[in-house]
Amino acid sequence: MTNASTMEPVAERPAASASTGAGLGLWLTLPAQLLVLFIALFPILMQVYISLTDWSPLDGIPWWRAHELWIGLLNYTDLMADSRFWGALWRTMFVMAVCVPVQFLLGLGLAVLFVDDFHGKRVLYSTLLVPMMVVPAVAGYMFFMLFQSGGPVNDLLSLFTSDPVRIAWLSDPDLALIAVMVADIWQWTPLMFLILLAGMISVPQDQQMAAILLGASWWRRFFTIVLPRMKSIIIIALAIRVIEIFKIFDTLFIMTGGGPGVATETISVYIYKVTQQELIWSYVAAIALAILIVLSVVSVFAIKRMQRGQGT
Amino acid sequence: MSEIVLENLGKTFGDFTALADMNLTIANGEFMALLGPSGCGKSTTMNMIAGMLRPSTGAIRFNGRDIVDVPMAKRGVGFVFQNYAIFTHMSVRENLAYGPRAQGVAAAEITKRVQAFAELLQLETMLDRPAAGLSVNILQRLAIGRSAILEPAIFLLDEPLSNVDAAFRAVMRSELKSLQGQFGQTMVYVTHDQLEAMTMADRIAVMDHGKLLQVGTPLEIYNNPADAFVARFIGAPGMNILEGTLTRHADTVSAEVAGLGSVTLSPAMQGAAALQAAREVQIGFRPEQINAADQGLTMQVTFVERIGARTIVHMEQGASLAKAVLPADVPPPVAGDAWTFAVPDDAIRLFDPVTGRALGGRTH
Repeated sequence: MTNASTMEPVAERPAASASTGAGLGLWLTLPAQLLVLFIALFPILMQVYISLTDWSPLDGIPWWRAHELWIGLLNYTDLMADSRFWGALWRTMFVMAVCVPVQFLLGLGLAVLFVDDFHGKRVLYSTLLVPMMVVPAVAGYMFFMLFQSGGPVNDLLSLFTSDPVRIAWLSDPDLALIAVMVADIWQWTPLMFLILLAGMISVPQDQQMAAILLGASWWRRFFTIVLPRMKSIIIIALAIRVIEIFKIFDTLFIMTGGGPGVATETISVYIYKVTQQELIWSYVAAIALAILIVLSVVSVFAIKRMQRGQGT
Repeated sequence: MSEIVLENLGKTFGDFTALADMNLTIANGEFMALLGPSGCGKSTTMNMIAGMLRPSTGAIRFNGRDIVDVPMAKRGVGFVFQNYAIFTHMSVRENLAYGPRAQGVAAAEITKRVQAFAELLQLETMLDRPAAGLSVNILQRLAIGRSAILEPAIFLLDEPLSNVDAAFRAVMRSELKSLQGQFGQTMVYVTHDQLEAMTMADRIAVMDHGKLLQVGTPLEIYNNPADAFVARFIGAPGMNILEGTLTRHADTVSAEVAGLGSVTLSPAMQGAAALQAAREVQIGFRPEQINAADQGLTMQVTFVERIGARTIVHMEQGASLAKAVLPADVPPPVAGDAWTFAVPDDAIRLFDPVTGRALGGRTH
């Protein structure tokens, strides 16, 4: 909420303005605040409304009359029993549970390497950030090509085996998810690296020097000074990746289209298919709302942790 | 405890010489201040003693042993940083225990030592408080305690009072001095504040532009600066330095300042003056030693600062500038007037105008 006192106009009698000024500030900012509230809240309220009906744009009635197709909580009870939804949710969580730690550890390792100066650091640094700037659709086609059965990944693996490797990465239900995760790790480790490096650089040099003078080894310094001091930024970096992976779609969809079967179908892919192929909009609204709640809870948790980290 | 010897110590960064030919012996248990303006090489010297920098030339010996190749964690040096570098994400107890833990001291022993040091430093009531948000004098005590708990032979302090407001500095100074008394370690204290150096140090090493200019007790340095820079740097305000020429009379020697008048030299100074072939000298005298007089030097008063116990008179004549410090009960001259003052002959110091070095005649 906007702090009313900072908006307070210059009053003639400062002593008396404390109460009336705050009221005036509220009134003056009310239109803007209502607008913000409306913009933020309207789509959510609309979603809640639609999710309680059986409405779809093909029904021929405008959305505000969707209450004529009221079905109550049926969409939600359907969702509870929807194994494809739960499968997609579980798969998304799995991708998250693999990719976020891998990206974190790789990013942290790179940050440790890059926090000190070395020859050629600037060139290497810029090179490492390139994947992050590649358009995800392009990255999707790139990895689609790389993971073909006659593609470069298999060629590379063939160097280590006697027979040429011909793994059908993207059409094998067990391997497609791995390929998709490799692409995500390739593209988003640089972001993790960038954020963690910024955090690592801001750890006060004299504290590390003090620790050295007190006889602390590199590992002890890393775990007692560097990491604790990076706590807030680590939480931010992890939160960004958790939220982004929850929404993973573009690269993955181009590589596998969610297949084979539902082998790489994540939440976003599932929602896309239900919307575009089955046109059950009200059901999608229910799914989206459920996800919003999950993500909000995660974010609030992360922010709480972050504030506690800064407090100490 | 440990004696520190710096032998022909030098440090260059590329073409820049930060320190050249430093020779200094710091005795066991001594409180030595390295004093000088920023860029004088004092921090470079200290960082080399601590091991953060490697000397370009020369040697550093602790008790006779060259320690240039000893890594900094193994030198037995306690270091107090300018901003104390307290681990603010830990409690006071964790800060104190950090060193012993890093060195693998047994847990029971750590508990005992932390307790002992907390009592010594009067920190026992706040052991479990987070170190963030402690007041600055407690941070100082904690910073010293955190290093002292490892019983280092040498303590290095890098301008620890520069972030403290003036009113609190006096408190911190006396606390620091009494802590040194308790621990009895050799202390090297880097500062640009001559008042800190004068009040705390056993001896002061005055440095400028990477050179050691003078080492001595505070009073030696105050009374007999070896160099015109030291003379100006020590004291608040510093020593007046005027350009003059020597004139020989029947049995005395006087120094004449163009357009101002002349002062007579003491017998001790005359010998030194005789050595000065060029006759051109710099004449130095402390503002505190000036008295109003009928004859002596005459200068134009530009303005008068009354600061309570003392009055500072700023004077100008041609290119010469000088200051006088008068007791508050002496009626000061009026700004704009010409004012004549005398300098007692034993207060006069002479410096070589080319090298800046003092010309003989130490008077105690």
